[in-house]
Amino acid sequence: MTRNLKLLALFVGAAVIGHVGLVMAVPHALMKVAMNRMSGDGARINQFSFGPRTTKDSRGVVRPSPDLAYSSCVYDLSKGPLLVSAAPSPNQGYVSLSVFAANTDNIAALDTTQYPKGIRFVLKREDQVAPVGMQVVNSPSDKGIILDRRLAPSAELFAEVDQARRADSCAPVKG
Amino acid sequence: MSGKLATAGVLLAGLAVGAASGWYTLQHGMVQGDTYSGWSGSKVTGSVDADPWTRARVAVSGLLALNKSQAIYFSRNTDDSGARLREDCRYRVTGGAMPARWWSITVYAADNYLPLNDDDALSFDQTEAQPTGKAEWTGILSPKQPDGEPWASTNKAGDYDITLRLYQPTPQAQQDYDAIPMPKVTKLDCGGAA
Repeated sequence: MTRNLKLLALFVGAAVIGHVGLVMAVPHALMKVAMNRMSGDGARINQFSFGPRTTKDSRGVVRPSPDLAYSSCVYDLSKGPLLVSAAPSPNQGYVSLSVFAANTDNIAALDTTQYPKGIRFVLKREDQVAPVGMQVVNSPSDKGIILDRRLAPSAELFAEVDQARRADSCAPVKG
Repeated sequence: MSGKLATAGVLLAGLAVGAASGWYTLQHGMVQGDTYSGWSGSKVTGSVDADPWTRARVAVSGLLALNKSQAIYFSRNTDDSGARLREDCRYRVTGGAMPARWWSITVYAADNYLPLNDDDALSFDQTEAQPTGKAEWTGILSPKQPDGEPWASTNKAGDYDITLRLYQPTPQAQQDYDAIPMPKVTKLDCGGAA
């Protein structure tokens, strides 16, 4: 193989690695940015933060829905499982808790149609132990994001669901 | 020495070109899933089954999207004639009963955020757009508020697109996107014409 052919092969190989490497890295990088924003640069881990009503100035995460009230919990399972719960909204309005792993995959989504009295589950790594009888979600990563979405298409409805979501919990399992 | 420099230069150039092509792919939506009556959507959005390109594209333009068991997302930037949606035009969006518990249509600017206007009309949804006598619902996309109709403002939206969210879609809708009766987007007029 001539030197020029070797350099061409090196260029093509490097280009493939650059392309695939970037595509693989982007989800993790953007999740890290989102987790930093949502947790106040790590100040609020394993606890819910309650976002204001979505407006034109909502710039935390791309494509927010102005019809939903968002609350988020940036989780870290390195010290053990979490007990996660969300109370229903008034009039049984739509509520869901969704869990996103560090690679952006939506690994679980539970809603108040399935659990009209409220959503409650243990979030853990595969090798961690959950209390007996609890609904369990296994995360493939230590870190990620839990989102509470509630239907709130008007200021009045937002005020109502804002009260209800304050009962949400995302905290280490006790005992 | 010059040989090693040339090799390093080629290596760096290859990495840079590859990374640039990857970013271009994600930015220009070359992995958009399938098209359904002008709306594009992917069955693996948010799913653990998503391929790396779909996962990365969703991270760029729809981070924290739900999987189809909870929500289905469709987007479009053209009207039913295939023309690019324009900020200064008025469009009527019409649809029938949607196979979901709740739906909404939202305007997004090219930066994937909501348009920077103060109209407090960034979307319309099932709670606003009630069926008319023909068992259809309608809404308006326009830069100015219409009289008495659900409205999503395109004021300051630039090269915008719209997203249809179907929350808690029926099992049939999850299985067969072709069976979903997609809303129509019809241009009414442009540039403030009556």
